[in-house]
Amino acid sequence: MMINDVFTFLVGGKAGEGVKKAGSVAANIFSSLGLHVFQMDDYMSLIRGGHNFSVVSTSSRWITSQYMKANLVINFDKRSCDMHIDDIADGGIVIYNSDEVENINGIGIPLSSEAKKYPLKKLMFGVGAVAILASAIGFRKDQMNQIIKEQYPSGIEDNIKFADTFYDMVKEKCHGKFLLSDGQKRRPIITGNEAISLGAIAGGLNTYFGYPMTPASSILHFLARQAENFGLAVVHAESELAVINMAIGSAFTGARSMVGTSGGGFALMTEGISLAGMTETPILCVLSMRPGPATGVPTYTEQADLSFALSVGHGDFLRIVASPGTIEEGYYLTAEMLDLVWKFQTPGILLVDKHLSESSMTIDLDIGKATWTEPKMHQGGDYKRYLDTEDGISPLLFPPSKEVIKWNSYEHDELGITTENAVMVSQMHEKRNKKVQALKNYLKNKKTVNIIRGEHSTNIFAYGSTYMSVLEAIKYGRLNPTIIQPIYLSPLPIWELEEFKDQDNIVVEQSISGQFSTLLSEKAGIKIKTTIKRYDGRPFDPIELSKKIKEVLD
Amino acid sequence: MKDLKTNAEITWCEGCGNFSIFTAIRNAIPLLEQKGFKREDIIMTAGIGCHAKIFDYLNLSGVYGLHGRNSSNAEGIKIANPDLKVVTFSGDGNGLGEGLAHTIFAAKRNQDITMVLHNNGVYALTTGQFSPLTEQGWKGPSTPRGSIENPFNAISLMIEVGATFVARCYSGDINNLTSTLVRAIEHEGFSFIEVIQPAVPYHKWEEYKDEIDNLDNEPYSKEEALKIAREKHRFTIGIFYEETREVYHKSLYGTLNPVKESLSREKRLEKINEILKL
Repeated sequence: MMINDVFTFLVGGKAGEGVKKAGSVAANIFSSLGLHVFQMDDYMSLIRGGHNFSVVSTSSRWITSQYMKANLVINFDKRSCDMHIDDIADGGIVIYNSDEVENINGIGIPLSSEAKKYPLKKLMFGVGAVAILASAIGFRKDQMNQIIKEQYPSGIEDNIKFADTFYDMVKEKCHGKFLLSDGQKRRPIITGNEAISLGAIAGGLNTYFGYPMTPASSILHFLARQAENFGLAVVHAESELAVINMAIGSAFTGARSMVGTSGGGFALMTEGISLAGMTETPILCVLSMRPGPATGVPTYTEQADLSFALSVGHGDFLRIVASPGTIEEGYYLTAEMLDLVWKFQTPGILLVDKHLSESSMTIDLDIGKATWTEPKMHQGGDYKRYLDTEDGISPLLFPPSKEVIKWNSYEHDELGITTENAVMVSQMHEKRNKKVQALKNYLKNKKTVNIIRGEHSTNIFAYGSTYMSVLEAIKYGRLNPTIIQPIYLSPLPIWELEEFKDQDNIVVEQSISGQFSTLLSEKAGIKIKTTIKRYDGRPFDPIELSKKIKEVLD
Repeated sequence: MKDLKTNAEITWCEGCGNFSIFTAIRNAIPLLEQKGFKREDIIMTAGIGCHAKIFDYLNLSGVYGLHGRNSSNAEGIKIANPDLKVVTFSGDGNGLGEGLAHTIFAAKRNQDITMVLHNNGVYALTTGQFSPLTEQGWKGPSTPRGSIENPFNAISLMIEVGATFVARCYSGDINNLTSTLVRAIEHEGFSFIEVIQPAVPYHKWEEYKDEIDNLDNEPYSKEEALKIAREKHRFTIGIFYEETREVYHKSLYGTLNPVKESLSREKRLEKINEILKL
């Protein structure tokens, strides 16, 4: 009855009815049973009304995607009923608000009229959804009440009364319909942006600068909440222009600094990223992609800023671009990137997307795996900020110091004084350019690609959150290709990709022009048979994606 | 202690008002040292334009940033290490054109930095276009029939948006400029000094000399300061306003120094464990 050992719960309604919260509570219930969880929230760019839904898939094995065929669907309003008519798994149960819709398949419950009896009114809907879920997975009332107490602490008595009403109401048709086996281990649930924030902290973060922009805002929010705990300075500045330039000033003092934004804000930062290239400022920028161009579709997902990230900022300079394929990797890679930008004194971009930033999943983190090391420091004597060295990396020194430290946006000599001298201009270009090879040499001893070897002769390339979608599609479809996820996109680790060049290669990505395919073929000479694309702002569904992959494989 | 002058070749025009600012800051630093400030704690940032060349000439540490973004660099320095005293040099086009928002927000936040606005009333380095402080009618290469915009009043603007030390100086009076710089840097909060200075290819010293007058008294309230700033001639010299208000970094994190008191890796991991604990 359940797909592939996966149980999926979907709840839909208007913004302000507690849809997302109900999804989170469901995720918590599943993780408390020791199960793995993946939660995706779909919401619109508005505060009240519209249509939101939360879909939570759970399994006793590692699960890396939501499923858009749900076993239990709860619709708070008519729009949700219409929207999710095809999102029901075989044998699935649909519960709908009978005060809003009539004569449809499923179990009608008078959500609105019951909620009207309580002061919180519509805010109670989520509690009702949790009660129905509790019944469907065979929880006793006392188990359910415990959860309601913990998760809905304001107006506990009302909440329990409300939950009891719906628990009893659906009991006959629902109770124990979806008994979940107990899993092995209780794991924390975090979002991608939380993983990135924690990874930055583990990587030595001191200052974070941001300007609100979905889907990167929750990094700013999380770090602002944690600022005091970790001794960070977290600043919401007047614009992304201010953000990047403040971060550069802050790095000048030796502070490990990060900024975060989405495409539009990133566009404003480009001038500053170029400044970081010239001044050789270590700076990490999180770019969380959403569908563009321009304002695009703010609260949805896409991977169409890849080529922008690869070439961001005017002029020739080293840009490091890397993209985590899972939420856990988001933690490790953020720490690693923070370390790398300090080692190589250049800007780095952590490329993610809404689906990775804002989805949540259970994680098994080895938090100590995130490390950082001291960058190359000045060892005494006269100081030259831009000392030309063998690998192009000049020793750092931070104020206050009796030595003068000059970081300069103009082309400069080794002291950091402006120059227009032809010899010096080319020498400094060459000095900075040496860091490109130095970085490649360094990365050759690091893990830069994730490869899962399969029996099938075809390979699938994916990066970022799409990697998670591919993993789940492969599991669902019991397919067996080799899956290749480059973690580093600039420099692209072509030394790891050599063997796949002339094989049968499929690319899966979320960009209409196939930016990732272009990168692979142009930089690594990968011959690509087919690119499977999605560009409607929604992440891939594993069932649909597995069908598409299967078509190509057969 | 090293000289306050670098070996860089000075490329300001002969007779440029920027020389006076350069002299005044070199006079002010030893005076500040006498008052207990350490030279190595004084950090500078500069934008782009003739004003910014001071970065190459003045032997202090700092960031030579982008056009208009120098006050953001300064804010970032101060926020990361509040022990540092930051002076940001700006032109009138740089600080009130391209960088207007950053200048206003630094004042709004009362960041503990000093902005020296070199007001030559023109985009000098880019061949004489009108600036945000240029009087209407300026015939520059971008306004051959005369500029059609009214200038900002930098002093009343900065008082209005929250600067806590606001003064106007004249590059023809180095002593006054020096003592004002000392007061501005000493002042805890956002200090703004507009320095009237000729860019000699576009304006002659004679144009200023007779126009300069002095404030009789320092105004006693914000309202009074605004009134005087609006009514007085644009070449009126003096300290228009000073107030005490909590600085941004102290409101943000109290007595912390984020870079000096950075938590150890072990402490960080311990706390992350705490957050992830079930």
